[in-house]
Amino acid sequence: MNFLTLAAKNLTRRRGRTGLTIIGVAIAISVLFSLLALNSGYEKELNKEVNSMGVHILAVPKGCPYEAASLIIHGGVIPKYLSATDLDNVTRIPDVELATPMLMHQFMKKDEKTGKSTPHIIYGIKMEDMLQLKPWWKVEGRFLEDNETRVMLVGRDLADKENLSVGQVLPVGPAKEDFTIVGILERTGDQDDQFHFFPLEEAQRVFGKEGKITTIAVKVREVSRISDVSEEMEKVPDIQVVTMTQIMGTIMNLAGSARSLLLTVIAIALIISAFGIINTLLMSVNERTREFGMMKAIGASGSDIGKMVLMETVFITISGGIIGTLAALVGSSLIESFVKGMLPYSPAGSLISFSPELVGFSLAFSLFMGLVCGIYPAFLSSRLSPMEAIRGGME
Amino acid sequence: MSDIVEAKGLTKVYRRGREEIHALRDVDFIVKKGEFASIIGPSGSGKTALLNVLGCLDTPTRGSLRINGIETCGLREHDLVKLRRDNIGFVFQQFYLMPTLTARENIELPLLFSHKNGKGAGIDGILEMVGLSDRGNHLPGQLSGGEMQRVAIGRALINDPKIVLADEPTGNLDSATSHMIFKLFEELNRQGMTLIIVTHNLDLARKAHKMYTLKDGQIEGCEDCSPNTDMMC
Repeated sequence: MNFLTLAAKNLTRRRGRTGLTIIGVAIAISVLFSLLALNSGYEKELNKEVNSMGVHILAVPKGCPYEAASLIIHGGVIPKYLSATDLDNVTRIPDVELATPMLMHQFMKKDEKTGKSTPHIIYGIKMEDMLQLKPWWKVEGRFLEDNETRVMLVGRDLADKENLSVGQVLPVGPAKEDFTIVGILERTGDQDDQFHFFPLEEAQRVFGKEGKITTIAVKVREVSRISDVSEEMEKVPDIQVVTMTQIMGTIMNLAGSARSLLLTVIAIALIISAFGIINTLLMSVNERTREFGMMKAIGASGSDIGKMVLMETVFITISGGIIGTLAALVGSSLIESFVKGMLPYSPAGSLISFSPELVGFSLAFSLFMGLVCGIYPAFLSSRLSPMEAIRGGME
Repeated sequence: MSDIVEAKGLTKVYRRGREEIHALRDVDFIVKKGEFASIIGPSGSGKTALLNVLGCLDTPTRGSLRINGIETCGLREHDLVKLRRDNIGFVFQQFYLMPTLTARENIELPLLFSHKNGKGAGIDGILEMVGLSDRGNHLPGQLSGGEMQRVAIGRALINDPKIVLADEPTGNLDSATSHMIFKLFEELNRQGMTLIIVTHNLDLARKAHKMYTLKDGQIEGCEDCSPNTDMMC
């Protein structure tokens, strides 16, 4: 027998109470673990998403940069437009390798079965330019030709969700013109999986936006020249320049405040849990005063008793830590959907990124929590005088 | 025989608010190695107070106490722990067994505190000595009162103490079981163990070599109970 066995057996005496305390710790650790996993996963996914755009700088109509950042990545209607002149001005800037115009538009599609209308995002693109920006794009069927009419590409997720296939015809635009799906993009893992892609001029025609564009995506010859090109672009009137770094920074700032709120909630949960543990242990120490007196009489020192109580605490918190971490691993999808609902912007991929280091940190934190919570009860129990303890009173 | 317990002028005063309670008044008490002493007296006479002081669970207000030749007055808690661990075994009226540990583990407990783990053979020997060889893996809840007290006696013996102190060891037991427990004490004493037992039971107290009577914190008398003697000691 050793102290650990003794501590573990002591905890089995009040199984219900011990179990509830462990659950309290497990919940707190589970949420903490998920938040930490989310912290690294969020940044990683956002980076991936922004990089998957394949562009270095975006030019959008002047307005709120936060809104623009979110719309550019997620899709939506920007109610202001740039012109061909703006595109020319950007193209002329030295070190711009490619400047491609895009028109983003939204239309409502009515589900025949449910009768509900859902928003669909359409990107008017220059196909050759897009393939330069996104050389990883692959297609089932074929890509678009820039001068084609009444044809479209669709993203994989959208195709799966709407049960779309190559060759299918969809009514689009105010005049419900028939558009044929000529290709379905292979899964990219980002927002492109959710969009319709039209040849730019066709999109402008269908939605009555001839000559208008919502975004100019710019690829720079050398990454080191991004800030110089961005400065030059800012001189062009009417356009707002957003670099990918700025988009990331903006979104991270927005997400930061939501994460601070979550962190506060978790901190409160941890504090409540800690007081729960201390309370449980103090009750347990109080109930076992005579027993501690007996232990002292048969040769236990104050530090032996303190060590035993501390081990009981650590046992509770480590058990809670293991259960909490496992629960977070198993229930990550639930936690993710909850957290996604609280964040102002969420990338499409999985936000939670687990790593062995994170598991290690959670368990180390459980141990730390046990040590902190156990100190006071351990100190109290170690100070009991054997006589007073046998009489049954705490000093 | 040399003195294993040598108390001189032991006084213990407790304070309850402004009131002073004299639990022990100038007690002189000597027990020789291998002796079996019993202490009787009415409730509140100071029996348990004396036993606690003799067992170094409590410190006297005045007087001196030598256990196995070591002066205990003035020792720090750390040294008292070592003294208790190496020299004294305790048996309590309420047994104080750990309910989640088996009889064997309860007996083993003092070894954990004295860092002498792994004395499996010693535990088996003790279980046999107290007549619980076949009950070692039972939890206290599965044992009778007598068996629990025998486990407690085994626990007091595992560290090979020089002296065993028992506070009302039969107080919670019926008379048949009490006799069995006293027989066990007599057997231990025959093997050379020094015993000091506090009891209310006069019949059992007379089974000791010497029976001390305590009243109002003072030793009022000492009777030599050895066979064929009817003398005051």
